[in-house]
Amino acid sequence: MSEGYHFEDEVQERPYDGRLMRRLLGYLSPYRYRLVGATLLLLAATLFSNVTPLLNMRAIDWYINSADRTALEKSGMGAAAQLNALVERDTQGLMGLLLLIAGLMTAEAAMRYMQGLIVTFVGQRAMLEMRLALFGHLQRMSLRFLDKNPIGRLMTRVTNDVENIQERLVSDFIEVVSQIFTLVIVLGFIFWLNWRLALITLIPVPGVVISSLLFKKYARSSYLNIRKKIAAVNAYMQENVSGMRVVQIFNREDDNFSEYERRNRVHRDEWLRQIRNFAIYFPVVEFWSSLAIALIILYGGLQILGGHEVSAGVASIGMLFAYVQWADRLFGPIRTLADKYNLIQDAMASSERVFALLDTPEEVKDKPEAVAATDVQGEVEFRSVWFAYEHEQWVLKDINITIAPGERVAIVGHTGAGKSTLANLLSRFYDVPRGAVLVDGVDVRDYEQRSLRGNIGMVLQDVFLFSGTVMRNLRLGNEDLSEARIRECAEYVNAARFIERLPGGYEYDVGERGGNLSTGQRQLLAFARTLAHDPRILVLDEATSSVDTEAEMLIQDAIGKLMQGRTCIMIAHRLSTVQRADRILVMHHGEIRESGTHQELLAKRGLYYTLYLLQYKDQNGGA
Amino acid sequence: MNPKVAPGRPFITLLRYNRPYWSDYAIGMAIALVFSLIGLATPIVISWVVDLFQGGQMTRNLLFVYFGALVGVSAVTGIARYFQRMLMIGASRKFEYDIRNDYFRHVQRLSQDFFHRVKTGDIMARATNDLNYVRMFIGPGIMGTVDLVGVPYTIGVMVWFSPKLSLYAMAPLPLISILVYFFVMYVHRQSKVVQEQFSAVNSRVQEDLAGARVVKAYGIEERELSAFREESTQYMRANMRLAVVQALAFPLIGLVVGLTILFILWQGGQMVIAKELSLGRFTGFVVSISMLMWPLASFGWVLTLYQRGAVGMNRILEIMTAEPSIVDGERTRHDVAAVRGAIRFDGVSFSYGGERVLEDISFEAKAGETLAIVGATGSGKSSIVSLLTREYDPTGGGVLVDGIDTREYPLAQLRAAMGYVPQDTFLFSETIRVNLSLGRPDATEAQLDAASEVAQFAETVRQLPDGYDTLLGERGVNLSGGQKQRLAIARAVLRDPAILILDDALSSVDTHTEESILQRLKEVASSRTTVLISHRVSTVCHADAIVVLREGRIVERGTHEELLALGGVYGDLHQRQLLEEQLEETA
Repeated sequence: MSEGYHFEDEVQERPYDGRLMRRLLGYLSPYRYRLVGATLLLLAATLFSNVTPLLNMRAIDWYINSADRTALEKSGMGAAAQLNALVERDTQGLMGLLLLIAGLMTAEAAMRYMQGLIVTFVGQRAMLEMRLALFGHLQRMSLRFLDKNPIGRLMTRVTNDVENIQERLVSDFIEVVSQIFTLVIVLGFIFWLNWRLALITLIPVPGVVISSLLFKKYARSSYLNIRKKIAAVNAYMQENVSGMRVVQIFNREDDNFSEYERRNRVHRDEWLRQIRNFAIYFPVVEFWSSLAIALIILYGGLQILGGHEVSAGVASIGMLFAYVQWADRLFGPIRTLADKYNLIQDAMASSERVFALLDTPEEVKDKPEAVAATDVQGEVEFRSVWFAYEHEQWVLKDINITIAPGERVAIVGHTGAGKSTLANLLSRFYDVPRGAVLVDGVDVRDYEQRSLRGNIGMVLQDVFLFSGTVMRNLRLGNEDLSEARIRECAEYVNAARFIERLPGGYEYDVGERGGNLSTGQRQLLAFARTLAHDPRILVLDEATSSVDTEAEMLIQDAIGKLMQGRTCIMIAHRLSTVQRADRILVMHHGEIRESGTHQELLAKRGLYYTLYLLQYKDQNGGA
Repeated sequence: MNPKVAPGRPFITLLRYNRPYWSDYAIGMAIALVFSLIGLATPIVISWVVDLFQGGQMTRNLLFVYFGALVGVSAVTGIARYFQRMLMIGASRKFEYDIRNDYFRHVQRLSQDFFHRVKTGDIMARATNDLNYVRMFIGPGIMGTVDLVGVPYTIGVMVWFSPKLSLYAMAPLPLISILVYFFVMYVHRQSKVVQEQFSAVNSRVQEDLAGARVVKAYGIEERELSAFREESTQYMRANMRLAVVQALAFPLIGLVVGLTILFILWQGGQMVIAKELSLGRFTGFVVSISMLMWPLASFGWVLTLYQRGAVGMNRILEIMTAEPSIVDGERTRHDVAAVRGAIRFDGVSFSYGGERVLEDISFEAKAGETLAIVGATGSGKSSIVSLLTREYDPTGGGVLVDGIDTREYPLAQLRAAMGYVPQDTFLFSETIRVNLSLGRPDATEAQLDAASEVAQFAETVRQLPDGYDTLLGERGVNLSGGQKQRLAIARAVLRDPAILILDDALSSVDTHTEESILQRLKEVASSRTTVLISHRVSTVCHADAIVVLREGRIVERGTHEELLALGGVYGDLHQRQLLEEQLEETA
């Protein structure tokens, strides 16, 4: 699977969960005043927008269709002057009222805009915090955890899941709140003005609620099915693309295509079902809302006809007009609520995944009373150390080594003998289940991890470089290092020569994982980087890959310089490196089997002798 | 290439793909035309009702008639909307299904050089994100466009109610269009910035996780965190810059619409007061203008759907127009006999990415022989396999099977004759049965058993509670490296191929098991040609002929004994292997 691209093939259902919600709200609590402000703005804006029908009603009943004027007009009596005065009065009044509405509308738009900005800002900030928390947590996770979890999946947590929470929970949640406000305010208005007409308006509500519940039920199951089906479609394609060689050589194209077609078809059919759910639901709600409007007109009309005249305040044309507008706003929210429910549940699943990751305990952790490793002399001891990556499959069995400050020890052994594990344990990338690793007589678990590692310089086989400049990779964020000092180190370990030949020199971009540099160049950079950080203990896991002779000479020379005055543990693949060691330890199947100098071990004609013949003999004419 | 695909012309391609559904779109469009007309009944009825009240001519019976009319219109429109949605959105999903199938089919046909060039993630991104944009263009995009067909009618009714008010109502339309255009452009531009910054955040996380060891070793967690904070903050800022404009769109357009209606109320109200317009017509006008504004405003959104859809379609076309470099063609002969298994490389050279990988390679293996190829990593062993299975064609010389150039075989026939066990076992996340019978879906239980027995995989199957029906992969059982390799061998054996290729396929199996597997392989099919690729002498020592590669050239050839006597590269390798074995035995 390509890194950084990950399909969630697990689809979970996540009902509303109060505990999860409270935890999410925790991320919003620093912004509670702003959120209260936004809620107030939202409340006011909703109020303003729903007061407009009332004002429209007044505009019609008081002015456009004012009772005294229309009565005067109808009767055909009264002086023209009197009528003109009334017309003048109504026009003025209408304009005043409309100006008021215009003011309210402008205010509403401004408030909605501000509210929107606040909510987006808070959402973005909260998600930034969540992202940082996740990133920080991932950095504290042990290598054991990182070995086990694919990078793509972890990235999905930090990026997509957080994004999902922000979009769905923050934005949609506000939308839901806004709709609830609308519902309450509209209900308040219609009952306050005319409770009978209000009851009439609400007649279709049970219908809407029942349709919405049914819709929610069907749409929800379809929605979950769709997510599962599309995951199956995409996962299958991904697998086929990655394994296309096997597919083609085994002539599997047709069979795999029909499997893909089947998954694709199931997904399509599930969608067609879902489209039906929507295609039924939307018109049905629209129908209920039209029914409400028709009922308002019918009932109001009957009231007017029944002699409850306009002046009786029971119903008026303006009022009918207003109720029609309100009815529209009453049914919209119910529809939105049913619609958003699925999306919010989806975000709940995302937040559960995020929190599950945040709750994964750190395996390698500083003790509360951990001490800083200062003035380290460089004495290293492995005391009866046992270690396994997988349960009970021991990679190290009862290892005892003591290395004096400044001593140079080479560890040799066949592939898989456990050499690299020693280096990992010394830096406390993993904790030992039995025994102890000590630096200057103190258990590494009693040091602060970072100060411990600050004393250990590791040059690993496969040099990892960050994308960015040469300088960035040498400095690695240590601002205390002067540029001059870094250049000096590069000079000393023979790296300066090639760096200066690069376009831009120290500002040359090494590319993703240092891809623009050769293996030998990466090695030399790693030496310079280590030297610049001046560790007391040097761990060298020598590269097995071959480089050209000139580079090899430069590297060997650099290794010699790097070792001066430090405790050195070398996982050696080259004879020249072994020969530099004060002592050689031979590891085999997780145990130390032989120990001594090169000559002593050769004379023994044991494991080391065999290894020597196997690995080192060709490297030069023998010792 | 698929006949529906028009290179570089997304719209033509879309048209061709949607041809099967043209009647769905046509009916949907017809429904929209008819029912937006019927929908106009609502404002007209309302205007009549109001005027009848005003004139005092309203009766109970009339009121019920109008009530029935309103409910009836709504019911009929609702049913029409149902069919319209089902047809048009449904067609977009059917289209998605069609193009997805073709995409998959096309990717299957592409050759290995393509997969070296284009990353899996890229191929997937086009099949997911880009395809989704294209579908949005077809479904909601066309629905949004169809909604516009009612606009002229609505305008007609408005003019009929009051030409003067219609003029006022139209006045802000240019303003709305300009606003929408501005928003769309800005959002489009800023979305790109957001997207780019999102990738930057992504790469940060990826790099940090991949380099976790270095981060820890140098204790630079804090600095990395602050660098990540920097990138994330920039991402947040980019989002905010987008939001500042985007959040303005709806309130602002809403305000313009609202103020327009207010202006109409004011002007219309005066007209009613001045008796130039009846209250009913005035009410009808206000109802119809609200029917008009939103389809027009949402058209801006539809435009973005078009734009993104076209970009997405282009990106999909880039893949769908890629030509496979290895296909059956003019040279293909359809009369070749079943493969018996004789292999000959005739002065083969091969370059990849401008680099010479193989140089003047010639060797021969008769049907039924075992040929071994040894050499260090990067010496070109696997390239020989890729040429034999015709995943690549040689740059010079010829690869012959039974004396016929591989380029003359129908590709499927050639590959059907090969049983291939790769270095890295690729298993599908399905059952063991599916994985085993990959090259022979109709295999019987007995055949499965026999093949598993030969590959010494049978014991593993017996130990699993679900046997052959055990699910593999992340959600199933994880096999060990050795078990996977043995499954892959069983899979190749099950195919009963004329040529069996083991590409370093026993590296995770100990030497004793290896030997007995090789022994059994020979026993069950002595007429089979076997190609062994290995760096282990123990694997190849019984081969009829051994070829030693170094930097893309053959440096030694002969039988095990001959090569030992020669005392060259192979002899050295043998020496080392003995030492290693000696080391292994010292437990």
